[in-house]
Amino acid sequence: MDLLLQFLVNGVVIGVFYALSALGLTLIFGLMRVVNFAHGDFYMLGGVLGWFVTERLGLDFFSGLAIVAVVMAAFGWVIDRVLIERVRDQGEEAGILLTIGLSIVIANVALLAVGTAPLKVASPVSEAPLLLGPVVLTRGRVVALVIAALLVVASHLLIRRTTLGRAMRATFQDPMAARLAGIRTERVYASTFALGTTLAALSGMLLGSIYSAQVSIGGTVSLKAFVVVILGGMGSFPGAIAGGLLLGVVEALWGGYISTNLVDLVGFLLVIVLLLFRPYGLFSLRAERA
Amino acid sequence: MHKPSFDFSVACPAALRRSAQAVFLCVAAVGLTAHGAFAAEPIRIGLIQPLTGSVAYNGQADVDGAKLAVAAINKAGGVLGRPVELRIEDGQCNPANTVNAAEKLVQKDKVVSLIGAFCSSATAAIMPVAQKYRIPLLTGVSSEADLTEKGNPWFFRAAETDQLLARTFAPALIKTLQLKRVAYIGVNDDWGRGGVQEFQQALQAGGVQTVSTDYFDHGATDFYTLLTKLRASGADGLFVAAETQDGSILVKQIKELGLNMKVFGVGSWATSDFIGLAGPAAEGVYAAVPYVSTLATPQNTAFVASYTAAYKAPPGKYSAAGYNAVQIMAQAIARAGSTDADKVRAALAQTDYTAPNGHYRFTPKGQAYGFSLALVKIQNKTPNVVALATVSAPH
Repeated sequence: MDLLLQFLVNGVVIGVFYALSALGLTLIFGLMRVVNFAHGDFYMLGGVLGWFVTERLGLDFFSGLAIVAVVMAAFGWVIDRVLIERVRDQGEEAGILLTIGLSIVIANVALLAVGTAPLKVASPVSEAPLLLGPVVLTRGRVVALVIAALLVVASHLLIRRTTLGRAMRATFQDPMAARLAGIRTERVYASTFALGTTLAALSGMLLGSIYSAQVSIGGTVSLKAFVVVILGGMGSFPGAIAGGLLLGVVEALWGGYISTNLVDLVGFLLVIVLLLFRPYGLFSLRAERA
Repeated sequence: MHKPSFDFSVACPAALRRSAQAVFLCVAAVGLTAHGAFAAEPIRIGLIQPLTGSVAYNGQADVDGAKLAVAAINKAGGVLGRPVELRIEDGQCNPANTVNAAEKLVQKDKVVSLIGAFCSSATAAIMPVAQKYRIPLLTGVSSEADLTEKGNPWFFRAAETDQLLARTFAPALIKTLQLKRVAYIGVNDDWGRGGVQEFQQALQAGGVQTVSTDYFDHGATDFYTLLTKLRASGADGLFVAAETQDGSILVKQIKELGLNMKVFGVGSWATSDFIGLAGPAAEGVYAAVPYVSTLATPQNTAFVASYTAAYKAPPGKYSAAGYNAVQIMAQAIARAGSTDADKVRAALAQTDYTAPNGHYRFTPKGQAYGFSLALVKIQNKTPNVVALATVSAPH
């Protein structure tokens, strides 16, 4: 029983991390319909920048997090205005090729700049174990969970409660009507892309403080994030969270009771089974767009 | 880089036939090349390491060591009066890419010999390529025992095998750590699985019980599930086969979960990067390695000094492997007196190289022996040698 409890807690923690790293993708891929293969590299950039500001510049974790957010939001905005805009409305293939190229460029520039060594992001709290009955956690993980939850809530409020959020929803429902109503859709696209990039980077820095940041991690992160977004349903916030938790818990139970060496298989099995029964994911916003 | 000013190897034989004056000119030209060291065409050695992908960090360490060796050789006048030039290719630890890299190095760059690759599966894939083109291939890293048993006369290994490490240190480990029940964790590839198997056999032969065996994929970051299982298993020792990235995270999480086990293993652990990443969790961990920067030999002191000057950090086992491989190959070419592949191969077989970590000689099958293996314990952020052994010639 204690064992099961610990497996479940492990799964939930990882699930929240999966959800967080997939949130940005659910905006960019789910809402903007850009199949963003550079998502994992935005995540990686967040970790590398996090290392730079905390270990090199010696800032504390939270000011570092703020700086990374600002830098990566600007980066995302520029990428959208300079690159993504050129292939908008030209079908998904152009976007796929563009983001694959972008991913290669980002990964190799980072490789040249900081090298292949794993990098440590200074943690905001001590790494001592924290005992909750039979279950072990660490302060670092609890803090990361709280920040992740705050980020999810903040993004949700941004989209549901602000003018920008309303403009976003309008634009993705019907870009033409939104333009006719006076919404500057190019700004909405750029803001959404910037928000997605920032969320990816922040999760990269957050998880870099628990594990370590590494230049070559991009591909793995992208893959998991796609699994989560497809499980949850494209563009759905609750879906990304449910998808992440589902993946985390199932992986933990599979690893705990069956075998740890095929654990990466689980996500894809889940996707196949889910698509058979619910082709639009758990919480699809756009079932009508087949 | 080194543009040949006068290609006498082609020009001389033709000139010789013409006149006595030309003979004089030719001799003068040879004399000149010998003095103005690097006017001659460089000797190209191909090096294949993973420079991207999951073990890129370790491949880069190997390349750094190799470059240092080339710099030292060229500073001392090169080989056969010619400078040595490394042609480096990225094999990504992937058999297909490694074969492409080898074909390119042989066909396009016309390298004299090959060094590489990192992962045993990648090395196994280019062994037939070396045989096809009749070109010597030397690995400084790949540790799967089978490689030297394939009967490929062009292949040499200047590295320990998992089997050697396991058999050498199993008795010492059982005694110092008082092991009774051991759990095994390895990275899910040929190296990790090989290491786990060999240590399992060696420890079982010493009466140690196996509690469990688990594998994880390269780039895995969360080991809580695996470690939760271990916590319930009642093991008193944990064997780990993992590289710096995975290993440091694993060791950290062992401490986070409060597991009270003696941790030992193989991989690039005795390095400052590992100790920096794992932090206090690295204390008390044992690692079986072929090289550690705290070895006390005069060659090693010099090597560590020049490496630290060049890269601002002491060398680890892969840096030493790259350095040794280039030195062994360069010395073989020098002994052969030419870049002729057959002669270089014959000279490689006669290797007697004094490395920072002991002597390297080769058995008729191409397996190195005579170098040291060390069991180190990480204490106060330094890897201290607790046991040292010399690899004897296998029978």
